[in-house]
Amino acid sequence: MFFRRLLVAAVAALALTETGRSAAPRFYPDDPIQVDRDNQLDAGKATPIEGSNGYDFGEQTFLKPGDRRNIRAVNINTMDEVPDSSWFTNRIGRRDMSIAEIVRGPNSVDTINVDGWPIVRDKTSGITPGYRITDPSGRLYQIKFDPPSNPEMASSAEVIGAAIYHAIGYNIVEGHVVEIDPEKIVIAPNATAVDMTGRRRPMTREDVDKLLARAARLPNGKYRATVSRFAEGSPLGYFKYYGTRPDDPNDIHPHEHRRELRGSRVLAAWLNHDDSRGLNSLDMLEGPAGARFVRHYMFDFGSIMGSGSVFAQVPRAGNEYILEWGPALKTLATLGLYVRPWILVDYPNTSPAVGRFESEFFDPVKWRPEYPNPAFDLMRPDDAFWGARLVARFSDEAIRAIVAKGHYSDPEAARYIADTLIKRRDKVLKTWLTGVNPIVNPRLTVSGALTFENAAVAAGVATTPTAYVLTWSKFDNATGTTVGDTQEVRVTEARGDVPAAIAQGAEFVSVAIRSIHPDFPDWQAPVNVYFRKAADGWQPVGLDRQLSGAAE
Amino acid sequence: MLPSNSGLGARDSGFVGRTKILLFTMLCLAVATQVSAQEPATRAEELAREREEKSKQLTPPQSGRVERTLLSLESGRFFERLLAPPEGFYPKIGNITAGSGFALGPGYRHAGILGERADFSTFAAVSLQRYWMIDARLTFPALADGRVFADVHGRLFDFPSEDFFGVGPESRREDETTYTLHSSQVGAVGGVRPASWLTLGTSVDYLTPSISAGRDGQTIGDLFTAAQAPGLDIQPDFVKLELSADVNTREPRGNPRRGGQYKIAYERYNDLDLDSFSFNRVNLDLQHYIPLLRDRRVLALHAVVSTSNADAGQTVPFYYQRTLGGPDDLRGFRRFRFRDDHTLLLQAEYRWEIFTAMDGAIFYDAGKVASRREDLDLEDLEHDYGIGFRFGTRNGVFLRVEGAFGSNGGKHFIMRFGHVF
Repeated sequence: MFFRRLLVAAVAALALTETGRSAAPRFYPDDPIQVDRDNQLDAGKATPIEGSNGYDFGEQTFLKPGDRRNIRAVNINTMDEVPDSSWFTNRIGRRDMSIAEIVRGPNSVDTINVDGWPIVRDKTSGITPGYRITDPSGRLYQIKFDPPSNPEMASSAEVIGAAIYHAIGYNIVEGHVVEIDPEKIVIAPNATAVDMTGRRRPMTREDVDKLLARAARLPNGKYRATVSRFAEGSPLGYFKYYGTRPDDPNDIHPHEHRRELRGSRVLAAWLNHDDSRGLNSLDMLEGPAGARFVRHYMFDFGSIMGSGSVFAQVPRAGNEYILEWGPALKTLATLGLYVRPWILVDYPNTSPAVGRFESEFFDPVKWRPEYPNPAFDLMRPDDAFWGARLVARFSDEAIRAIVAKGHYSDPEAARYIADTLIKRRDKVLKTWLTGVNPIVNPRLTVSGALTFENAAVAAGVATTPTAYVLTWSKFDNATGTTVGDTQEVRVTEARGDVPAAIAQGAEFVSVAIRSIHPDFPDWQAPVNVYFRKAADGWQPVGLDRQLSGAAE
Repeated sequence: MLPSNSGLGARDSGFVGRTKILLFTMLCLAVATQVSAQEPATRAEELAREREEKSKQLTPPQSGRVERTLLSLESGRFFERLLAPPEGFYPKIGNITAGSGFALGPGYRHAGILGERADFSTFAAVSLQRYWMIDARLTFPALADGRVFADVHGRLFDFPSEDFFGVGPESRREDETTYTLHSSQVGAVGGVRPASWLTLGTSVDYLTPSISAGRDGQTIGDLFTAAQAPGLDIQPDFVKLELSADVNTREPRGNPRRGGQYKIAYERYNDLDLDSFSFNRVNLDLQHYIPLLRDRRVLALHAVVSTSNADAGQTVPFYYQRTLGGPDDLRGFRRFRFRDDHTLLLQAEYRWEIFTAMDGAIFYDAGKVASRREDLDLEDLEHDYGIGFRFGTRNGVFLRVEGAFGSNGGKHFIMRFGHVF
């Protein structure tokens, strides 16, 4: 009996406590967070990891690693946006960037001259010929040359890709197009190279000459290359597009569920960045001892657009994985009578600097990297919409300015690249800005006037919906549910007023916005927007973009 | 004595019990309140707590055995160092000659000697069929800015199970015998490359062939005489001279999709001892590739004509006659199934890309041997057909697996390293 009473007392005490406080609220006071401070815990014990190209291909192709649940991205804030973090810094998506700023990208200076900077060692990774040099202050840089068959191709692609990825928000290392005078190449006395026996030995002029023999020589006798500055900190290897680093306390969101990684598929498709895989990423350990953290970089854009780094991109790239069972089996079974559609694509006979790049056949949805990427596989329409909104921020003028950074000697090559990027951008927007109900930027004034925008209409890829249906309700932040009666209003413009009965006395209100459009039935899936009463009006604190038919 | 269940005692006991329950309840409330206080108040705090939790269970990144092995192989350039090192010892792996079977042995290579102009290489290898070879050569691959090349070489080999079915198109499969070819060879090669697509070359070799009984099956002497197999009874030393021209426009060179390779060679075998086996030979070897569907399909055509003319009163020794049959020419027939002074080979393949690393192929081979040049026509050709798969890249075929059918020589399964032509 005594113990029964004790048990009853314990339950009663817990019940009292439960009723005396609320469960975790739907929105915290600091929502929506703009910065995810994922550099607060010391990651000094993180250790470098190396990746195997063969294993990565096999793992991604045959094993499908990562959490494959179809769930909403886990690192977004309550407004469905990606907060700043060690992975991503909102730039063009959050503020206006001048074209000059976009073009400058991650670079601290406009140009650099590497004449006389000594070679300190060879370049051992990747297929592109190159070496490493140091500047007068001892900072390390990597040189990569263009292939003889396609002068300017890879180096232009590198700086164009870097500028775009940087403007979007990714961490990118500084890089420039340079011309290297072979007469001014200096080899440091302690420079080394690995020979084919695996031994590291002193580097010689013959080693450099062999490298240059695999590089494109310009009519002026120089060699064009990209020079990339090594990032700050200590290299930790690459990040995977799934799971988390087990040695980084700050890395808590599975990478396959990070929106900026899922959504980078949109960017990769636009730019034909078929080599967008974990091994082309870089983790760097930054900060002082005791307060170290990992910053995550994307790098190696030498094989985007029409470039395959050391040759013009192969026609398969971007259209099919290296090993894709369906088409392969069809081709095998029909003795080749089945013809993959991409085989028949015509590439314009332009400058070799362009490589193989086109926009007519390009289908954003069917676009493929070299082999499966878990985050790309898990990209949902809301992730794609996020990416497409960022792509939409690049105007024609900005794209032409970025392409000019590639320093194409043939104006026709630059024009073709820019035109193709613009056409591909338009396809990306048409595909992915319309894949969800594209309501963005909701605002509710102190007087109760709601305004919002339609991203697809704003980008010119859809006509104005015939109507919007607004369903208003009070919202209980403690329970995360709407309370009381709802009121539905049908409007023809992207505006409406919150009903007085809903707003009166409410701490939070919510409005579900449905778009009625004959061409886009999926737009009837609501975008639920939540506003919190603030001293100066209503603050948008939540945006929940429902997907038609999506499972959680 | 007070009864054990006296009223006072019971009251006291109830009071104490209630007090205990009250204290316990307060304790529970305190604990619960403490728990409640641990709920995060902000999103930032929620995330920070999650990270604190993870910080308690950090582990170093782990790689599986397969990944570690592959990484080691890649970073150490294992395959390049193993199969084609420019310097040092390496295992020589692969065939010694057609039909030798898998061979293995030590190799050594030293690149960039004599002022970075020459490469030295040597190997000794023995095969599962007990073929063996010792080879050494000094190569000057790119003199005069790559326009001139040369090498000097020497080799000693023993091929103990070379097939012989008799000479001429009427030879019979059931007459299969074997012989041993033992020989040394020293010589030199030189040539020029006036253009990237044109090579003009010449070579001279000293040859010391020696024929003896085969080690497997019925030996040649059991069934054939020197009259039926010229040179069977005695073998002189030879000097062989060769002049050649090679036009090569194949793209890509290792696994062609277009272009062609057109070679013509004149050979002179000079009998140094017996004045019985000197002869001249002209070889025409033509490959042509017709690209289809943007190079994803290829029609590959191959024709070889070889014609030998012995000096007056002399004959071509059987062991230097060109042959047909085997995994590289008439694939539906046994190795060296036909031989004579004149040979004709015609091959056609339809190749289609299945995926990046794998091609399919349907092939047809036809050919004949003849003792008279005028008989080298398109009548009474031996033929076969088949299907196969090739594994490799645009730079070359690593492995091919084929099935050859349709001949009167039975069905043949072929697995070979390298391309067919």
